[in-house]
Amino acid sequence: MTGSMPAELLTLAQLLLNGLALGAAYALVALGFVLVLNATGAVNFAQGDMVMLGGYAAVALGRVLPVSGLMLLPLVMGAMAGFGLLFSVLAWRPFRHRPPIFGLLATVALGLTLQEAMNALEGAAPQAGPALLGVGEIRLGPLGLSRASLGILFACLVLGLAQGWLLTRTQFGRRLRASAQDPVTARALGIPVDRLIAASFMLATALAGAVGLLLSGPYFVTPTSGNDLILRAYIAATIGGWGSLRGAVAGAMLIALFESVVAGYASSVVATAALYGAVLLLLMLRPAGLFPAPLGRRA
Amino acid sequence: MRLLATLLLALVATHAAADPVRLPILVPVTGFLSLEGTSQRNGALLALKQAPAGLATGEVVDTATAPENAVNALLRALDASPVPAIVAPMLGTQMLALMPTAAEEKLPLVTVSGTASLTEQGNPWVFRFFPSDKLAKEAHVRYAVEQLGKRKLALIYQTTAYGQSGATYIAASAKRHGATLMFSEGIDTDVKDLAPILGRAAASGADVLLFHLHAGSTALAIRQVAALGITLPVVAGSALHQPATAALLDPKELKGVCAESGSSPISGGSPRLDKFLADYRAAFGADPDAYALAQYDGTQMLLDVLAQGARSGEQVRAALSAGQWDGVAMHYASDGHGDMAHSAVILCYDGLSRVPKIVQHYDGLDAG
Repeated sequence: MTGSMPAELLTLAQLLLNGLALGAAYALVALGFVLVLNATGAVNFAQGDMVMLGGYAAVALGRVLPVSGLMLLPLVMGAMAGFGLLFSVLAWRPFRHRPPIFGLLATVALGLTLQEAMNALEGAAPQAGPALLGVGEIRLGPLGLSRASLGILFACLVLGLAQGWLLTRTQFGRRLRASAQDPVTARALGIPVDRLIAASFMLATALAGAVGLLLSGPYFVTPTSGNDLILRAYIAATIGGWGSLRGAVAGAMLIALFESVVAGYASSVVATAALYGAVLLLLMLRPAGLFPAPLGRRA
Repeated sequence: MRLLATLLLALVATHAAADPVRLPILVPVTGFLSLEGTSQRNGALLALKQAPAGLATGEVVDTATAPENAVNALLRALDASPVPAIVAPMLGTQMLALMPTAAEEKLPLVTVSGTASLTEQGNPWVFRFFPSDKLAKEAHVRYAVEQLGKRKLALIYQTTAYGQSGATYIAASAKRHGATLMFSEGIDTDVKDLAPILGRAAASGADVLLFHLHAGSTALAIRQVAALGITLPVVAGSALHQPATAALLDPKELKGVCAESGSSPISGGSPRLDKFLADYRAAFGADPDAYALAQYDGTQMLLDVLAQGARSGEQVRAALSAGQWDGVAMHYASDGHGDMAHSAVILCYDGLSRVPKIVQHYDGLDAG
């Protein structure tokens, strides 16, 4: 071990920690994406825009209620859940008996409408939302982590586990998955498929609201900020395993580690190129993703 | 009969002369440049509001961000009746698309676009009332080298056309002033974790950090510099001077940070500037930025030319080319290529408020 090794290891550890926090943010977006995917079998390209909308909801609430982000979190999630119901009525229900491409295009259209609406209402300038746990850095021995990143990590852990429990351990989750796999048979068995799907949209949108609040403090929010997030969520879901919760989290972490660690030793341009190269390689070697889910195998 | 005809002609001529001049204001008020485009629009509208009654009326058309939108907007504006000039979009790609039509129609374009190449095309119909990127980056580098005494520069720029163009001018200016670029790297606008690149920039041996980034990335970079405890001085690009950008940051995060800009209206400093600031706030309920002030000055010069009787594009072009204007932000005069602005400022934040202080004026930047 040379004298410079500890410093280099420290740098690597700090980059890994930063990557983990960033990956948690991406994972939260990917989890919402996978929730709708599991409920409907459809790709929701508006999930990033829902995050954006959640960010603006946090900014707006922060203007009238000068309290911490933690206090605003339930309000934002509740408001966004209501919007999720509207979203399912507008973008999913009219197209539920049509080929999946209709639903996909409906989510794209609704997402773009939201972007333009927010641009008209709030302008294109970035805006900062309330901080979840205050500002400043927390020291973990020789490493540092911002309070915002710590909040995102914590939220990812709690919300990810809750979602996993909901989908795999509850009757609601089992019915939801059954509805997605075979809606005709599910209806014949008396499962209220449409209501379950509407509930899953509400949950996914509430989750997006939480992510929007979490990200709007440290990374700001703009009308187009959802575009980058949905791209990462889509890639995370694809390389992780289509429909797999574990896979979505793993995929999101992989993306963030490239952005943090590779960028730390090369450059962000190299990191982006290397990431997409790795994604291509992974898709060639493991087309079903890191954690293949039943839905993915069928697809 | 002849007398009656003469009287009728005189009446028509008098009526025509009294008709307000149409002044199309083609600006990007939606899309990624809507913040700056709205400032540009507001600057033009405020100048029109303060013009002599009946002289001109503004017609705002949103060009969004696509070049074809701007061309369509121009063609539509020309369909109705002749116009003597256009307030033209600040987006460089839109300006480049408009310039051939402007030359064909003999129509002056009054803009605040910073894209340096606009006035390098040999098109005599472009009039720019904002320092070009080339001049702005000259001020950027000169401040770091001459005032801060730093010669080892680390540059972080955006990988957009704006960012890469600015990076080229910074590199050229650094070479001219005997400084070395120890580190130069681009980032996408979607990069959220800037710690890796900031860490490498700080470790490169540089003694100053230069940013040439859009608003969101500028704010993120400054926030993360503060969070990482990097002690190198920071000189940012003009995005920081916009009140909306500084509003993203805590005043403590801004402490000691400087930036280049064409002007800084919220900093005040003269009775005329204070009046502009008050008028703008009263009219739009927001703080103006340098783009708003530049377009205000440019439109005021244009309106002065119209008030003196110019009515055709050729008359307006001749007057703008030969004339001078003592604007609120600076003194304007064409360099023969349509560049009317030749000054820039450096502003710095004291860590106590988000209102910067102007610490350095650079005039005649293109004299050399």
